[in-house]
Amino acid sequence: MSYIHYPVISVMGLFLGAFLVEIFGSKNKKVRFGITLVFVTLATVLTYLLIKPVFFDQEIISYWMGGWKPEAGYAIGIGYEIDGLSLFFGLLIVTTFFLSTIYSWRYMEKDHHLGHYYTLFLMLCGAVLGLVFTGDIFNLFIMIEIMTFAAVALTAFRNNREGALEAGFKYLVIGSLGSSFTLAGVAILYLSCHTLNMAQLAALLSEKGLDGLTGFAFALMIAGMGVKSFIVPFHTPAADAYTTAPTSISMVFSGMVNKAGVYGMIRLVYVVFRAMGLSSVQLLLVLFGTVTMFVGVTMALAQHDFKRLLAFHSISQIGYVLTSIGLGTYFGLFGGLFHAMNHTLFKGLLFLTAGAVLYATGTTDLDRLGGLAKRMPRTTAYFLVGAAAISGIPPFNGFASKWMIYQATYEKAVSTGNIAFAFVTVIALLVSVMTLASFIKVTQAVFFGQCPLALTQTKEVPFSMRLPMAILSLLCLAGGIGYNYVMSYVLSPAVHSVSNAVGYVDAMMGSGYATAHKVTMLQSEPAALSVWNPVMWLLLFVVVLTAVTLVALTSEKRRGPVTTGQEQIPDGKYATFFGGEKSEHSHVAGSDLFWGFKKDWKGYFRVAGNLHSGNVNDYAVWTVAATALITLFVMIFIV
Amino acid sequence: MILFNYITAAILLVLGMYIICTQKNLIKIVLGMGIVDYGVNLLIVSIGYNDGGSAPIYSFPDLINGAVHHFVDPIPQALTLTSIVIGACVDAMALSLVIMIFRKYHSINSDDVRRLRG
Repeated sequence: MSYIHYPVISVMGLFLGAFLVEIFGSKNKKVRFGITLVFVTLATVLTYLLIKPVFFDQEIISYWMGGWKPEAGYAIGIGYEIDGLSLFFGLLIVTTFFLSTIYSWRYMEKDHHLGHYYTLFLMLCGAVLGLVFTGDIFNLFIMIEIMTFAAVALTAFRNNREGALEAGFKYLVIGSLGSSFTLAGVAILYLSCHTLNMAQLAALLSEKGLDGLTGFAFALMIAGMGVKSFIVPFHTPAADAYTTAPTSISMVFSGMVNKAGVYGMIRLVYVVFRAMGLSSVQLLLVLFGTVTMFVGVTMALAQHDFKRLLAFHSISQIGYVLTSIGLGTYFGLFGGLFHAMNHTLFKGLLFLTAGAVLYATGTTDLDRLGGLAKRMPRTTAYFLVGAAAISGIPPFNGFASKWMIYQATYEKAVSTGNIAFAFVTVIALLVSVMTLASFIKVTQAVFFGQCPLALTQTKEVPFSMRLPMAILSLLCLAGGIGYNYVMSYVLSPAVHSVSNAVGYVDAMMGSGYATAHKVTMLQSEPAALSVWNPVMWLLLFVVVLTAVTLVALTSEKRRGPVTTGQEQIPDGKYATFFGGEKSEHSHVAGSDLFWGFKKDWKGYFRVAGNLHSGNVNDYAVWTVAATALITLFVMIFIV
Repeated sequence: MILFNYITAAILLVLGMYIICTQKNLIKIVLGMGIVDYGVNLLIVSIGYNDGGSAPIYSFPDLINGAVHHFVDPIPQALTLTSIVIGACVDAMALSLVIMIFRKYHSINSDDVRRLRG
């Protein structure tokens, strides 16, 4: 039974490590890296040791700080509770942070004040891990705040980099708005239920149902978690922060910090408020998810910077995850969690390759890179793995999870008879295609094409930076090939624990508490997960084909006949498309590969570009307005 | 009148958000964040208030027996303290970022501080 102490030791160890680094590690780089590595490894090992009790024995670990157990049916202490969902995210967190630590050793070697870097790094790791392990809603808020602080400080860490300070400030303003919403939600929940324990809240809320007060708290907390998971329209600080943070941190942001918001969303919606049976909540989440994936990918197409492009793809992929978990079906949960896991792996990999490019060449501007495949062959190979995975090309993991999401959304359309969900499937397919297009652009702009003269001396990055990339590439491949094993050994316990609110409440409050408060299981588990139905897929392809034909016909009419006149193209670098022969030194820069598509959509791109104005006031307006809209929606359709 | 507290909290929250959304000066934005924090803190501490209640110093059996039932809830006060500390940290960090931004951009107008866009 000693393993019940492991979660709290991992989290405390990371915070302790943060202080130790600050005290002992400011001078010697080996000392500070050693301390960081020791505590991150400790957390990693201890979290992995929880796999057996939680995943295999289906146990829910409950731990009361200081032994303050519930008295007379009221939780008075702060509790940690680790079920399959917590551990699923916990494993992703420790893996990401462990690989990021290894990568930091050489990647950060040229920076000053690295003691502060590792302090903040450990605090970020501890906060995110504590967030998924905690069973107390106020502790959740505290962990969110520590996470935001550390993340803001790390965003602005390389403050000589263009825009880093600005990105940090925007992140802090929007992030603290989100935190304030969360805290107000916690306060209102306390007013209504007089407890802060999530298990007890789940029981009490299930007994009394959502009324005006708890509905308001629900809306505020959804908005707060939306800010932390960077869904559109809360996404703007993410794009800036991922771009300007050191890449080892961008990997962690994109890999885990936004997933912490997703975790909070799942925990609140499915377990605490148990609102996922309501079709209006499903509609809300699917709507936000769909908008997020579409806006993310289209903004990514317009980017000139490698890391900013990846940042917008990150936002887009979170949209997939949210859409899928918002369906409220088992299949959607499987797809969503699988995609969350895969996104951590492949986006981490892609950010690390971007970091390798930055380390080797000193720039991430797509227009100034090119032809690195010969100079950095291994990085190129890893990048191609990541690009194939994110675009959903078999046999990599992105294909498996995206396929499940298409199936889940389409199955939802069939089972509810709501045609809107079929359109969600079409949009998801379209977004996947645009993701592929965008990564073809990056591949062309960075790794193939002509090498600028300034970059001819570029060398491959050192081994300690290649190792995390190699591990992540292997995991991407393994997840795609062995997805059946992933589903049955990793996802299945996590999905089971999401629906098992009875077990979650009883583990914390003592058995029988849940049934006394009328907590029920979410729904019966399906006997088999396979929903493969060829007729339905035939129908889907007909729908997609019709949509594509319609789009093609309308654009033909609008654009008029294709002209071949080169005189309309002012820039000589397009000549290679029109001249019929390869022109000398016409490096097709990254932003120009899909110029035809961008020309067709130039109205949309102009509007979207103007909306991302970079002004912190505008972003705050979006945040407040979206929160108000969510509140209005909840008040009208749910309460 | 505890209702007055709730109304003030709501006014502070709205006022703070209004400042963040409309003011161009970064220092004013930081002040707006502070005001949002104060609004939330007032909301929390009002939740625990019990008119005419005593200090919450009792043993647990007393509470269960129902011997005492009219006291101020201590938990929201603990939460408020934590939240005040966090709010102070947010303000300090935001102001230090504003100082650094002023050194680099030579302006603290949010219209000038927008090199990252599109």
